Amino acid sequence: MSTQTQTETTTTSETGLARLRALWNDYLPYWFVAPMVLVMVLITFFPGAYDLYLSVIEEPTFDVFAAEFVGLSNYATAFGRGGALHSFIITVTVVVSALALESVLGFGLAALVAGVESERLQSFYRVLFIVPMAVAPVSLATIGRIMLNSEIGVIPYLIEATTPFAAPAFLSEIPLLTVVLLDTWNWTPFMFIIFYAGLSSVPDTLIEASKVDGAPLWRRYLHVIIPYMKPVVFVATLIRMIDLFRTFGVVYGLTQGGPGTATQLVSINIYEQMFINNSPGVAAAIAVVYLVFVVAIANIVIAKVGFEGVWD
Amino acid sequence: MASENQSQSSVDTGSQRLDKDTRETLVGVARHGLLLAWSFVVLFPLYWLASMSLKPPGSANSLPPDWLFLPTVYNYIRLAQDGAFLAAFANSVVMVSASVVLVLLIGVPAAYVLSRYDIPMERDVLVWILSSRMLPPIAVVIPFFVIFRELNLFDSRIGMVFMYVSINLSLVVWVMKAFFDGIPETLEEAARVDGATRFQGFRKVVLPAAKPGIFSVAIISFIFAWIELLFGLVLTNFKAVPVTLFVYSFIGSRSIEWGMLAAASMAMILPVVVFLVAVNKYLAAGLSFGVVIKE
Repeated sequence: MSTQTQTETTTTSETGLARLRALWNDYLPYWFVAPMVLVMVLITFFPGAYDLYLSVIEEPTFDVFAAEFVGLSNYATAFGRGGALHSFIITVTVVVSALALESVLGFGLAALVAGVESERLQSFYRVLFIVPMAVAPVSLATIGRIMLNSEIGVIPYLIEATTPFAAPAFLSEIPLLTVVLLDTWNWTPFMFIIFYAGLSSVPDTLIEASKVDGAPLWRRYLHVIIPYMKPVVFVATLIRMIDLFRTFGVVYGLTQGGPGTATQLVSINIYEQMFINNSPGVAAAIAVVYLVFVVAIANIVIAKVGFEGVWD
Repeated sequence: MASENQSQSSVDTGSQRLDKDTRETLVGVARHGLLLAWSFVVLFPLYWLASMSLKPPGSANSLPPDWLFLPTVYNYIRLAQDGAFLAAFANSVVMVSASVVLVLLIGVPAAYVLSRYDIPMERDVLVWILSSRMLPPIAVVIPFFVIFRELNLFDSRIGMVFMYVSINLSLVVWVMKAFFDGIPETLEEAARVDGATRFQGFRKVVLPAAKPGIFSVAIISFIFAWIELLFGLVLTNFKAVPVTLFVYSFIGSRSIEWGMLAAASMAMILPVVVFLVAVNKYLAAGLSFGVVIKE
């Protein structure tokens, strides 16, 4: 009797297992995407919705119905004494100038390295030039604080020892430029390595053909090589732009938004509203505007340039 | 611009045409000059950091600089005895590695489906996935700060692992989709004919072929999580502190121990340099979200 039930249970569990296996294989694509969709919802819709909720209530509370609705007053505070507009301007300034500098430098370096005849030397430069990416922005900020310090920094010292000019006080007189320059040091390698790969993919025949025309070098780049590389240029710039809007560590480590609010990026402003001023409502209000702002810009860029050539 | 062209053509038709070799040499010299200049820009801060970490205490920041000094590993020994550093370093290694494993487990199968099946509104789905990277981390972290405190995930490694997954998932899906697109479907079809299930076809045929992609996207994900400061700053205070926060904590302390700070930064940077060099061949493919490999 007992043995019989045992065999019975094993057969049912076996068929159960087989059924599970069939379920697994028949619906494989669903199982495969489900965790990704879950995590994506958690990291896109949830924070957006929760920021929105926090931004229109008085005080964060878990009892949604007990929360006191305050309308747009947090937004008014954010753009009033919260200095949100100022930090948006600072952010856009940093993003635009760093993006321009890194693209131009990255492309120039890629073109220079691609033209090196010795293959060994070429790969030496290729490896050397990606190394700055290994430095965490916050580490770079600490290195910058030391090397650029007006009293003990080696860079002001070298400037004054080798040139007739007085070294600027990097962190107090030109903090924004210093931030841009440090980010450029850190992330030009990103543009460089993608552009370099893009350049290597331009067929030799195309380059030879353009040479026969006798066009000057810059025109060959402008009219033949860059158009060919358009998808690569587009994607590198788009992703770097998105990442520049995420900048936090280098500025927080270098100046913490100062002196005053001279380098107060939106990220820094939100952080300070949340954790120094203890006003989550104001922080969330700026966060909502920032979210919409960045997603809108990125989508406009995507729509304008299109994914043609990138995808097909 | 017209005058520029004119002068160009007059130069070309002139006697200089004979000196083509000279011109090429000049271009070569200029090229190598510029490349050396940038090499210096890249290397000088790193050299300075390394030398600071190897200088005896007291002379780390003396000016004029001690260009010649007797290197000492004193700072590294101090660092190796510093419990807070060791804990933060171990935390980062564990949390970042776990996040890489997890993000691969979640992202790679999803990328496979996006590559092989007809997905309705595929383009919009992919842009949605990319949009997770557009969201500034500070805007994402505020809700999680509130939620994590309620769920007892504040200052926990699990919470940090999840946040690290969130920054890399879009990257993994995009890059791996591009890699899978480059692997001919006939491979799996052949396996299916031989009686393999769909899952076996994925695991035994497609995955091995996608190994270089998985390897490079894993390393790039590792780097992006490794250098992240904000999540540690907001979501940890003691137990789950990552090494970036440890480095940051030097700033603002009254008597900064420059040598130790430099040694800690070196310890953070060196493994990543090794990784970057190891993955250097596929770096562009990975960083460009898979666009470059489609050639």
